[in-house]
Amino acid sequence: MNDVQAPAQESSTPSGLGVDDPLWYKDAVIYQMNIKAFLDSNEDGIGDFAGLTSKLNYIRDLGVNTIWLMPFYPSPLKDDGYDISEYTNIHPQFGTLEDFRTMLTEAHKLGLKVITELVINHTSDQHPWFQAARRAPAGSPERDFYVWSDTDQKYLGTRIIFVDTESSNWTWDPVAKAYYWHRFFSHQPDLNFDNPQVLAAVLRIMRFWLDLGVDGFRLDAIPYLVEREGTNNENLRETHDVIRQLRAAIDANYRNRFLLAEANQWPEDVREYFGDEDECHMAYHFPLMPRIYMSIAQEDRYPITEIMQQTPDIPDSCQWAIFLRNHDELTLEMVTSKERDYMYTTYASDVRARINLGIRRRLSPLMENDQDRIKLMNSLLLSMPGSPILYYGDEIGMGDNVFIGDRNGVRTPMQWSPDRNAGFSRADPQRLYLPPIMDPVYGYQATNVEAQIRDPGSLLSWTKRVLAVRKTSQAFGRGTRRFLKPGNRKVLAYLREYGEDSILCVANLSRSAQPVELNLAAFKGRVPVEMLGRTTFPPIGDLPYLLTLCGYGFYWFRLTHDAQAPSWHEPIFSIDERPVVVLFDGWNTLFRDRVMPWRIGMAEKTRLQFETDTLPRFIEAQRWYAGKGVAIDRAHIADQALWQDGKWSWVLALLELGTGPEAASYFMPLALAWEDGEEERLRNLGTAAIAKVRQQANVGVMGDAYADEAFCRALVGAMAAGRDIATAQGKLQFRPTAAFRVLAGEDYAALPVTRPRGSSSNTVVTLGERLILKGYRRLRAGASPELEMGLYLTEVVRFANCAAVAGVMQYLGNDGQTTVLGMLQAYVGNQGDGWTYALEYLRRHLEEHRTAPATDGLPLEAHEAFLMLMRTLAQRTAELHGALASASDNPDFAPQALTRADFEAYRERAVRELRSAFELLKSNLEQIPAPDRPKANEVLALQDKLLARIGAMTAQETAGRKIRIHGDYHLGQVLLTRNDFVIVDFEGEPGHGVEERRAKQSPLRDVAGMLRSFSYAEHSALRSAAHDEVEYTKLAPLAHAWATQVREAFLTTYDASARDSSLYTSFTPGRGLLGLFELEKALYELRYELSNRPSWAGIPLQGILEAAGDDHAKP
Amino acid sequence: MQSLNLLLDTTREFFHQVAALLPRLVLALAVVIIGWLLAKIIRFAIERGLRAVNFSVLTQRAGTDHFLQSAGLRGDTTTLFGLVGYWMVLIAALMVAFNGLGLTYATDLLQRVELFGPKVLVAGVVMVLGSYFARFVGEAVDRFCRDAQVADADMFGKITRYFIMAFVIMVALSEIEVGGDIVQRAFLIILAGIVLALALAFGIGGKEWAAALLERWWPRNK
Repeated sequence: MNDVQAPAQESSTPSGLGVDDPLWYKDAVIYQMNIKAFLDSNEDGIGDFAGLTSKLNYIRDLGVNTIWLMPFYPSPLKDDGYDISEYTNIHPQFGTLEDFRTMLTEAHKLGLKVITELVINHTSDQHPWFQAARRAPAGSPERDFYVWSDTDQKYLGTRIIFVDTESSNWTWDPVAKAYYWHRFFSHQPDLNFDNPQVLAAVLRIMRFWLDLGVDGFRLDAIPYLVEREGTNNENLRETHDVIRQLRAAIDANYRNRFLLAEANQWPEDVREYFGDEDECHMAYHFPLMPRIYMSIAQEDRYPITEIMQQTPDIPDSCQWAIFLRNHDELTLEMVTSKERDYMYTTYASDVRARINLGIRRRLSPLMENDQDRIKLMNSLLLSMPGSPILYYGDEIGMGDNVFIGDRNGVRTPMQWSPDRNAGFSRADPQRLYLPPIMDPVYGYQATNVEAQIRDPGSLLSWTKRVLAVRKTSQAFGRGTRRFLKPGNRKVLAYLREYGEDSILCVANLSRSAQPVELNLAAFKGRVPVEMLGRTTFPPIGDLPYLLTLCGYGFYWFRLTHDAQAPSWHEPIFSIDERPVVVLFDGWNTLFRDRVMPWRIGMAEKTRLQFETDTLPRFIEAQRWYAGKGVAIDRAHIADQALWQDGKWSWVLALLELGTGPEAASYFMPLALAWEDGEEERLRNLGTAAIAKVRQQANVGVMGDAYADEAFCRALVGAMAAGRDIATAQGKLQFRPTAAFRVLAGEDYAALPVTRPRGSSSNTVVTLGERLILKGYRRLRAGASPELEMGLYLTEVVRFANCAAVAGVMQYLGNDGQTTVLGMLQAYVGNQGDGWTYALEYLRRHLEEHRTAPATDGLPLEAHEAFLMLMRTLAQRTAELHGALASASDNPDFAPQALTRADFEAYRERAVRELRSAFELLKSNLEQIPAPDRPKANEVLALQDKLLARIGAMTAQETAGRKIRIHGDYHLGQVLLTRNDFVIVDFEGEPGHGVEERRAKQSPLRDVAGMLRSFSYAEHSALRSAAHDEVEYTKLAPLAHAWATQVREAFLTTYDASARDSSLYTSFTPGRGLLGLFELEKALYELRYELSNRPSWAGIPLQGILEAAGDDHAKP
Repeated sequence: MQSLNLLLDTTREFFHQVAALLPRLVLALAVVIIGWLLAKIIRFAIERGLRAVNFSVLTQRAGTDHFLQSAGLRGDTTTLFGLVGYWMVLIAALMVAFNGLGLTYATDLLQRVELFGPKVLVAGVVMVLGSYFARFVGEAVDRFCRDAQVADADMFGKITRYFIMAFVIMVALSEIEVGGDIVQRAFLIILAGIVLALALAFGIGGKEWAAALLERWWPRNK
């Protein structure tokens, strides 16, 4: 079985979007766009709904799930449409109401929500309501639709918002012969919500759009609805009364709709707009945005943490809306005057970029087009509490034009391509509503969607990736936020937690690399998985978690319970957590027959504690313990030797774990190191500590002796000397092979010893770059297939592409049974195993194509370099089989002809495998993930067909040879070294008995194993690279094409190299003996996955379907 | 004729006596055989029993095993104890047998030997425990002196150990009543001699040397 590092199980696509979830807006990622700026379909120079409809796929592929449409209503367009002259229609230049309906329907089909603007604070002065009001007599209901006064001295405590253009909130109307109230431009008179008819009219407008299917409203300028003398006319109680009535109207008649409050206020004031969950569902967090900019400018996390600490808690059903940029200026209203000066100096040194109390620039120019800073800003936006809003064009790093008046510089046409008018419109350039950006840095020739969509490293591709990652966890939208306080203030670190999901976000706010130590004690034992690359990091331990971040770097880690630590990670267990064993007489304490008469009772008690608690708890945590998850009652020391070598001594213990048929033997050498004078040993042994020990005032550690350099050297020395060590019931034998002197050299005792690396069944220690000491943990009496094969390949047939054997350590019991405890082999310098290499290669390949258009084909020779490696692998495989097929006097290795009985036995074995796998599948169907369940049912329905196929597969076979084979051959068993492969681990399939593993087989079993490994790599990489179903569907053909090519290259080369050896007759892939073995292997894998990790059962199920026939083989 | 009768009477008497002795002899032989078997069992039981309670560990740590092996004994102290037990039972059987045969002198002789046996055992136990105690105290003194950073700690440890061992040997010898007053007096004379020698050395000849040693062991200016 491939030793797959299972990524953490991702949560399914966040619920809410596209399904019936009233809280869907909590998971929303909103794309803010202006219809006029997006795409012009009718060549009039202005974007329209038909253009937007044609680009909905782009928005969906970007990874957002909600579109916020800026005003598109009939309007004089003096304030970019916020001056509405008709609420229930579409501005003709954007299309028709029918176009809107079509767009809405298509968006919903793609799972996109659409929210629109509800501008109810004011209308255009061209609105029929205002025209009627100015002409209506004072005091009439028509007149009272707006706020009138005979004087401009009312409400003097009210601030002026647009200080650059307006000098008063009152404007004289010569027709009405009165002043009318306006908080914004003078052409935008405020509606009078003291008049009940106004609210009734607003409710009618709201229902109109909701009935059309709009999913929510952004309530523009909501704090200013009502005016009262003596106040600042913001956030008044009466205003909240109006909002409550709007909300009540929605709740009474509509499901899953929402209100977003635009209240440019301090957080404590904005909190009021949530009410008691009876006002708005969402509200902007205005103060956060400038502080994100400020933190990066100051390279200090304080501005962000400070404002977030001032942010009050909001009701469970409510949500913040957060953003970096929008259609207005980067507002600095919610900062102090000093902070404002700092922001101006940093981000708007060109005074033309300043407007009102803000900066009219887009994100990219604000960040000086520094991609790292832009990504960091986005990472903060997407990971802070709230639903993020992306402003159109920022996903490609669009620029702005400060020479255009007002805030229109950030409202220029979307840059789709380097074509005329940026691909936005085919109209004459002079007809465009605004000229596109054309400067050399941000101009559409350099910055456009078409170019970036093809570039995996572009900002657009990155944005897609990061949004896809954000979707994998609801903690981003719904989780709590908790700041960590590392000593380095340039690093911002916070936790987002939701249910079982914990996300750690770490961001370096400075331009230079920064280290940080995080106190993650509460998450001890969890494995952080970096979410963008799905890379597992070392588990969190007792010490502060150390990270280094490049300049403006950031990490999102999922703190997982179930992900495996990186294979290279050497776990260091805290000695403090280990139990204390009191040794009153050194090693003798553990043996009742070696202590003074009056201490027998104590020795027995210590031994009992050691065998029932200390040792079992240690073994249960080891990777080499086969009974994962099975608690050990007692680790009985069945036999042992106290080995003294020089000044050190060790106990070499053979343990019996469990009883009856479940009993298993393990080898556990023990070492002791004391604090006094053995610091180095103590430190080494501390990494594999079994217990703290104390003998009178002397304290130390008892640990796994493989962590003791002296022990490893002593083992090699014992092999060199051919020593025997007596045990209570037998003896330990250490023997060198003929190659020992050549492989180990004369100075082996001086070789540096590495820390032991644990694997699934053994412990490996490297001595220099010369020797590998491999200690078996689970013991099996009888001949060791690995030793036999190693010796045969090294000393008899001299097969070069395997690790030569230098020595062996074995136990000879008084009953005459021999058990191999360990081997000394030649060190093979390598670049990792084939599995890791193939998986990483394919993941890289898929990552590169994740954001590429589906239409982009691959170059014909895209995988040629990899395929060359696979041909080499096939060549080495054929050579291995050739070596094992050579004539031999050794009956264990002499090749034999395949007989009819062998074929029958193979068939029977496959049938047995099929029946047991299907039984298991039937009983574990519920454990299989829902997406794979149809596949499982399909496989179950194929039982008879598969049985018939097994019968047919061997019918035509008549000849071939059986030889000793690798037996567990897959990509994980070959080491890549200088573009060549070394084959290792000849232990055979761990699930089979020793005799079965030593039995001669058709070499096609190994070939089948490797083919299945390719399939595993294909699906594992696919699962790892694809963040959601859409990506999976897109990337699956790429992965499958890779697997097909690799398979073909391997088989072709193997066949060409092994054809003359008479090892087989039929070599039709999928047919004959090879097909039979592939099917059997897939069935075995299915059984394994169902028993160990049902979420992976989909891979062998696919393999079985492929084996069943082409018509079932759709991946 | 008379001579013949006399000869016949003598012969008859001889056979009569032989007939009278034979059952006793057989009985004595049986007693010896049973005693021998019993002795073997006892030896086995002693050895097993002592090993079961780790007496052998004690004797090994006490150094008596090493001492015996140095003296050419193949077994260890436990074996020796088993052997003593063996011979005690066997001698007891021989005593019964000889007594049955009326061999009182032999019986008396064996009785003396038999009575010596327990003393040997007790002396052996004293030696084992004493040796262990001497070693234990010696090591404790050694460790204490090391911790107190007194120079020649090992020498003090050894002196203590050998001093205790001397007493232990005295007690053991006294138990088996070997040497009696001579040994005791000799020990006292040697002890007095050592004390006197030390006094003289400290007082007259080796005054400076003794002062230097005292300064070395307990320096005034630490």
